[in-house]
Amino acid sequence: MSEKLKLSGVSKSFGQTSVLQDVSFSVTDGTLLTILGTSGGGKTTLLRLIAGFDTVDSGSIVMNGREVSSDSMSLPPEKRNVGFVPQESALFPHLSVSKNISYGLSHLNSAAQDTKVSELLELIGMGDYRNSLPETLSGGQRQRVAIARALAPNPDVVLLDEPFAALDAQLRSKLREDVRAILRSANATAILVTHDQEEALSIADKVAILRDGKVAQIGSPRSIYSQPVDVDLAKFLGDAVVIPGIVKAGKISTQLGDLIPNVAQPEGTAGHVAIRPENLYLQPDPKGLATVTGRQFFGHDALVEVRTAAGTVKARTSGPISPEVGMPVTVWVRGSVNFYPIS
Amino acid sequence: MIRTAQIGLVDLIENLVRVRTLELIVNSLSLSVAVCLTAVTIGTVQAWLVYRSDISYKKFFRLVAIVPLAFPSYVLAYAWISVSSAVSGFLGSWLVLSISTAPYVFLAVTAALRRHNSASEEVARTLGRSQFSVAKSITWPAIRPAALGSGLLVALYTLSDFGAVSLMRFDTFTRAIYNAYRASFDRNTAAALALILIALTLVLIYLENRTRISHASVAIDQFRVLKTKLGPWKGVAQLGLSIWFILGVAIPIASIFYWTVIGQSRANFGEISRAFVNTLGYGIAGGVLVAFFGLAIAILVVRYPGKYSGRVEQTILITHALPGVVVALSFVFLVNQSIPILYQTSALVLMTYLALFLPNAVTVLKVPIAQVPIGIEEVARTLGSNPIQTLRRVVIPAAAPGILSAVAFVGLTVIKELPATLILRPTGIETLATRLWSATSVNAFSAAAPYALLLILIAGIPALLVNREIRSVQNQSNLEVDTSSAKLDISEVK
Repeated sequence: MSEKLKLSGVSKSFGQTSVLQDVSFSVTDGTLLTILGTSGGGKTTLLRLIAGFDTVDSGSIVMNGREVSSDSMSLPPEKRNVGFVPQESALFPHLSVSKNISYGLSHLNSAAQDTKVSELLELIGMGDYRNSLPETLSGGQRQRVAIARALAPNPDVVLLDEPFAALDAQLRSKLREDVRAILRSANATAILVTHDQEEALSIADKVAILRDGKVAQIGSPRSIYSQPVDVDLAKFLGDAVVIPGIVKAGKISTQLGDLIPNVAQPEGTAGHVAIRPENLYLQPDPKGLATVTGRQFFGHDALVEVRTAAGTVKARTSGPISPEVGMPVTVWVRGSVNFYPIS
Repeated sequence: MIRTAQIGLVDLIENLVRVRTLELIVNSLSLSVAVCLTAVTIGTVQAWLVYRSDISYKKFFRLVAIVPLAFPSYVLAYAWISVSSAVSGFLGSWLVLSISTAPYVFLAVTAALRRHNSASEEVARTLGRSQFSVAKSITWPAIRPAALGSGLLVALYTLSDFGAVSLMRFDTFTRAIYNAYRASFDRNTAAALALILIALTLVLIYLENRTRISHASVAIDQFRVLKTKLGPWKGVAQLGLSIWFILGVAIPIASIFYWTVIGQSRANFGEISRAFVNTLGYGIAGGVLVAFFGLAIAILVVRYPGKYSGRVEQTILITHALPGVVVALSFVFLVNQSIPILYQTSALVLMTYLALFLPNAVTVLKVPIAQVPIGIEEVARTLGSNPIQTLRRVVIPAAAPGILSAVAFVGLTVIKELPATLILRPTGIETLATRLWSATSVNAFSAAAPYALLLILIAGIPALLVNREIRSVQNQSNLEVDTSSAKLDISEVK
């Protein structure tokens, strides 16, 4: 698989404020990269640089083997062959759904445009809405049309800027899956930026975490979640119990017991371990040293607060069989843990 | 119209087919078209430059764009005529009315640009279109309804304007109607001409209604506003805006001050203060009277929506668009037929104000009334107040600030009114507007200056401020109004 997009050492400041520093990554043909970051973390700026709405201060952007942006040149957006799906869909309000989709197809004759539009309407499952105006569509439908519109000219890369942020939670997860399927069947290369961890992890082939304008970590969703490169990322990517520990005889000695590190550590190193709540197992035990102090019940699972020698920690348990408040338990850690030495 | 019916068909046709009538039609229409094109071009360009480009001194130029709202058209006409006698006739009317009306286009187009999501322009760029092609296929369609709609309002305004064209001595319908009535006591001609003018006006209203199809903006909280970098064009844009500032604001103000200073020694303070007191009297009486009836209608429309509200809205537009000269003359005819004792009394002047400005008052008063939550009314009812007591003790006090600013707004509009006051005022009563008009008509520029200055100071600038306040309240309240009417629906279902 070839590289469809490659960023090398891209930096950007607005006035005195540095927004992106030395950002490098590449996206393989036909894959979806999500960029996860807090709001104001430079995610949108990154997309705008790739789309050509802003110019890089230094570094280069290569698209399909062609340099589109560097410190000395910048192709205008209309010459880049990118698709863009902004947060609020931004459909052209005066044009029907089919006219919106065919807007970028003016180089084709009308028969070819029609074929393409029908194909895309089929793909997004909105064949009946060909002549509707944007104002008559629901939020989710608008986003589908916006994606079809972006896909119509067969762009090299599709850029999606928080495309689900304006939708309510239920619609969001449904549309997320649909969008993933649409992008897959169009075999599109795409970058999606979001501040929602669940969203970033669930639909991506690859996730890049943008922190303070730098790429903090990039990898598969699984590796990002199970092996965050530092304690802060571990906490950012979901609940994590962080407790101090010290390496003794190849294991990490903590107040929750001796734990096995992912990667072998030199003897005597002090640091922290980060444990996901689902890796804690609570065994009901009348002689247990820990006590259940609280419980948030979600149905399919529950988050149980336990007071231990290491302080209060949260454990995820199976909903129907989670222990009651006040029950004494013994806390076990399942599997190996991530260890972060104090530098 | 009643008058016209009495003349008989033959006379009517005779009156209408005169060559002179044709000339008036050509004059009125060509002026309307010219002013409309100029105002739409300038207002749209100003709005786009101020809201969507990277020009410098934005706040200043935004102010420049709306300040002409503070000058009644006849004050502007006076200011320009007194600069040079070359500014008169068609050219003078064109210039002055373009200055007066461009702010309406500016405000409408700015509002449309605010509702427009400029992200759609970025998307269009990524779909392979050049900046120019995007402006044509995306930006223009977004502001077209506002630009064309306000353009038709500009044409209506031009058609009904009396002050500027009469001072510029350009023969349009309004001036001809006034002259026919005043000079020759030829009321039949005046009535026939008025009929044609009404017909033209109705055509414009019909067209204006048709442009009201706009694509409801897809509701979003906040847009990122794209600022286009003008590059080498920035200088041209700044120069253009500055020239318009000089023509529309700087020269008129300088001219008024110049003549005020020149005429200072000969100013007749007795005359000025009498006109001032009369003007204030009409303003206050008119403001209170119109706002009183306006409030009643506004409460009816807002709180008891249904068969009336649609009709009231329609009437608002039509009366609003009828030229002041025509409305005033129709009152003259009407009163002479039925209650001659009212002719040339202040009571008749006030009645005419009521007819002219009630629509404005209702529009403005609907907002504060709609802002009072229906819930507090319902609470008042459960606490034992009947509907009238609830209005008096709860709704009106709660809406008081909005009501007061509506009274001020109407009063200030009354103060600036010229044609009806000129035609209907009792003999010997002069206001600032009529004094300014008569002095300018005989080229007594320095004698006219203090009236022009006072009109801007006591009516123009405050009206501009009140108007802006009302606008901002209206903008803020859109949401609240929506929710309160939603509540109304729910309570009705229950």
